[in-house]
Order: sequence, then C-alpha cells, then structure tokens
Amino acid sequence: MPPKIATDLVLSAQDIHKSFGAQEVLKGITLGARNHDVISILGTSGSGKSTFLRCLNCLEVPNSGSVAVHGEEIVFRNGRIGDQRQIERLRRHLGMVFQQFNLWTHRTVLENVMEGPVQVKRMPKAEARDLAEGLLARVGLADRMGHYPAMLSGGQQQRVAIARALAMEPDVILFDEPTSALDPELVGEVLKVMQDLAAEGRTMIVVTHEMAFARDVSTEVVFLNEGRIAEQGPPEKLFDHPETEVFARFISKTRRDFA
Amino acid sequence: MSLIESLSTNLPKLLDGAETTLILTGLGAALAAVFSPGLALIRLFGPTPAKMLLRAYISFVRGTPLLAQLFLVFYGSGQFRAELTGLGLWSFFRDPFNCAVLVFVINSCAYQTEILRGGIEAVPPGEIEAARAIGMTRARVLARVIFPHAYRIAWPALGNEVILLMKASALASIVTVFDLMGRTRQIFSRSFEFSVYFEAAALYLLITVVFVFLWRQIERRLTRHMRRTQGS
Repeated sequence: MPPKIATDLVLSAQDIHKSFGAQEVLKGITLGARNHDVISILGTSGSGKSTFLRCLNCLEVPNSGSVAVHGEEIVFRNGRIGDQRQIERLRRHLGMVFQQFNLWTHRTVLENVMEGPVQVKRMPKAEARDLAEGLLARVGLADRMGHYPAMLSGGQQQRVAIARALAMEPDVILFDEPTSALDPELVGEVLKVMQDLAAEGRTMIVVTHEMAFARDVSTEVVFLNEGRIAEQGPPEKLFDHPETEVFARFISKTRRDFA
Repeated sequence: MSLIESLSTNLPKLLDGAETTLILTGLGAALAAVFSPGLALIRLFGPTPAKMLLRAYISFVRGTPLLAQLFLVFYGSGQFRAELTGLGLWSFFRDPFNCAVLVFVINSCAYQTEILRGGIEAVPPGEIEAARAIGMTRARVLARVIFPHAYRIAWPALGNEVILLMKASALASIVTVFDLMGRTRQIFSRSFEFSVYFEAAALYLLITVVFVFLWRQIERRLTRHMRRTQGS
C-alpha cells in the first residue's frame, strides 16, 4: 500500500525513483504542493531536478512511486505506463513551461495558445480565441498574435509558452529552467510574468537557477543533491541558515557567481 | 515533313498518351501516399516482426529494377490465370494499365515510406513533448504536430519521388500501355519519323516543369512559418 496522501495537496509525488540504465537519478523523492504554493527546486547540474519535474507529468516515467493530481493517483511499477488515458488526464491539470520554449513553430502565436483548449478540451474556437487573446494581452504580447514563433525573441517565445500553459487552466504549472536559455537582458521580462502569476496565487513548481526568484517569490525551497532532497523549507530559513554543507556551498558559490 | 506538320499530325495522339501518363503517375503516387504514412509509423514504432517485414519489402523494391517488378506482375500474373480467375481478379490483371498502376503503387509506396520515416524522425522532439504535456492523445499529437512537420520536411524529397515515378512510368509502354512513351513508339514504328522522340521529350519536360512549379507553391505555403517576414 502506498502511503496515504494528504487531501489538501493539489499535487503530490510519493517516493519517486527513476533510473536511466544503471544510473539511479532519483532515489526516492516525496513532495507535495498545496494551493498557492510556489516551490523552487534548486540543485547542482545532475542532481535530478529536471528529471523530477518531468516525472510529475510523466514525460519521464518513474520506475516506482506515485503521483497524485486532482485526487487521482497514478502508481508506477517497473517504469511502465499503465493507463495512457489516465496520464493524459493528469497532464491536463498540469501546465508545463520548458527551457527551450518548445512552441509549435508551424503555428502562429495565437494558434499556439488556442491549441490546447480547442484540441484537448474541445472548446469552441471563438471561445478559445477570446481566452487566448486575453492571455496574450496579459503577458504583453497582444501585438504579436499573428506572428510565427521564429519571428519572436526568446523572452517573447517564453511568454507565449506561459500563456499556452495558462490556457489549459492548470491546477499547477511546472517550470523547467524557464530562463536558462534566454539572453541575460530577456530574463527579467519572463521572471516578471512568473512573479505576477505567483502574486495572483497560482500554484507553481519551478526548477531554476535564479536565486533571487527562489528567495523572494517562492513559498518553499527544495534543494536536491544526488537524487535526494537535501534541504527543504521556507526560503528565508534555508538561505540564512543552511543546514547541510552541500547547500551552504551551493549558495556561496552562486552568490560569488552573481556578485 | 516540317516540324509544324509533324506536330499537328502527332499531337492529338501524343496528348492522349500524355493524359495516360498523368493518370498512371497520379494514381500510382496518390494511392501510395494513402498507405505511406501508416507504413512509416509501423516502420518506426511498430512491433518488431512488422518492422522486419516492411524492411524486407522496402529493400526488395529499392533493390530491384522497376521494369523487373513490372514484368513480374504483368507476365507473372499470367502464370496464375486459373487461380486469379477463381478469385475474380483475372479481369484486373489482364489489363496492362492496372498492372502498371499496381506496380507503381507498390514501388512508390516503398520510397515514400522511407522518405516520410526520415521526415518523422526529424520532427523537433521538444514540440512533441509540448503536445504530450498538455494532455494530447497520441493520435492528436500525430495529426497536429508530427505529420505537419514531417510532411514539410519531406516535401522536396516527395516531389522528387513523384518526378522520378513520372519518368519511370514510360516503362509501362513496354507492357503495351499507350502512355506518352507508348504513343511515341507507336508513331515511330509507323512513320520512322525520328522527331517524334523530341516532341515526346518536350512534353515530358513540360509536365515536369509545371509539376515542379505547383509543388513549389505548396512548399512555400508549408514553410511560411520559417520566413522571418511579417505573418498574416
């Protein structure tokens, strides 16, 4: 029997294990998100943070453990997908923003945002168009709706990707290093949008290297090291009083890098 | 006989042949295009025995002359006349035109499947992930992301394949189909007028030029998102 899942969690992952071949990348991670939580996941490269995020919406299938969203639990055994339909249902509750944006390059900005509501939720086109136009206006791209992604800057593309995720009205939005592929001067515009989302109470799980964002915006910080959670807690506590040496080293190193 | 005279007497027959060539090629390429997407998917994601079977079929088609394949079906079917009659298929195989279409479908389908397989493999994986991440079903991911990209990528190579098929369709004349080449040979055998071959060549060229133009128009539409100019 898997452990009982607390009911106030919108998203919870229990004891997630994931291996690639002989290498065990995740060695049992348990994490839950309540409504309005903004959880930043930090870690050195290779710590498994992106893999863990991708396990949450089954882009990587965990070897064992379980994920529960919206009261529906998926238990993984032997790294197999049991019920493809169940996974598709789970994904509809989770938005995802990728490091490389991954916009559909053959569709316009507006079509990118309309795609999910129309193709997955079967929303009438006119309604989806209104929704998409509103979301694009909110991320500051009302004047770019007819453009194709190739004509936009990285920051603009990432804002479209955020609007695309919002269009599905997800319970939780997963961000996989959303600013890591951006030129430094474009990072701010994306972080600003994310900050606004946090302020309006969106539930977010963010894998990031932006220490300032983790510290100032998130409600909880998780530090992964070698496939395990090394530290976890409110940002002010973690950043000011790191308990483990690895995390202390990690903060001091990033401080030096950004000094 | 002057060229004008020669053309005016030959042209009706040549045009009739050209029409057959177009139908032969069009039917062959189009029917092959119906089967190739499914076969490309099996070739990539199907169960191992099905994959092996497809690879054997593709190697056979690509590794043997089209003329040999045509003879195999046209003369080979004659060997099984009794059996084919029993199955009610003899009336189909008796007609050389049908045999030619069948062979062209089998031949072009192998090439198109390989071309499309390459196209599917070149689809940006991140865009597929993005589609899966919003909860699209597999069928929807194929229809909305994978095939639109795969056809765009494969488009020039597919056009090439159709042109090659069109020219190779002249082989049908050898099994007595009166396509453009068949008509040309017929005219030459009666008049020994060498210029008819030039006239035929000009018609083949004309067909190709028009086809290339139309194909490129479609390609421009398929790649409109890749130009860095203002969108509509």
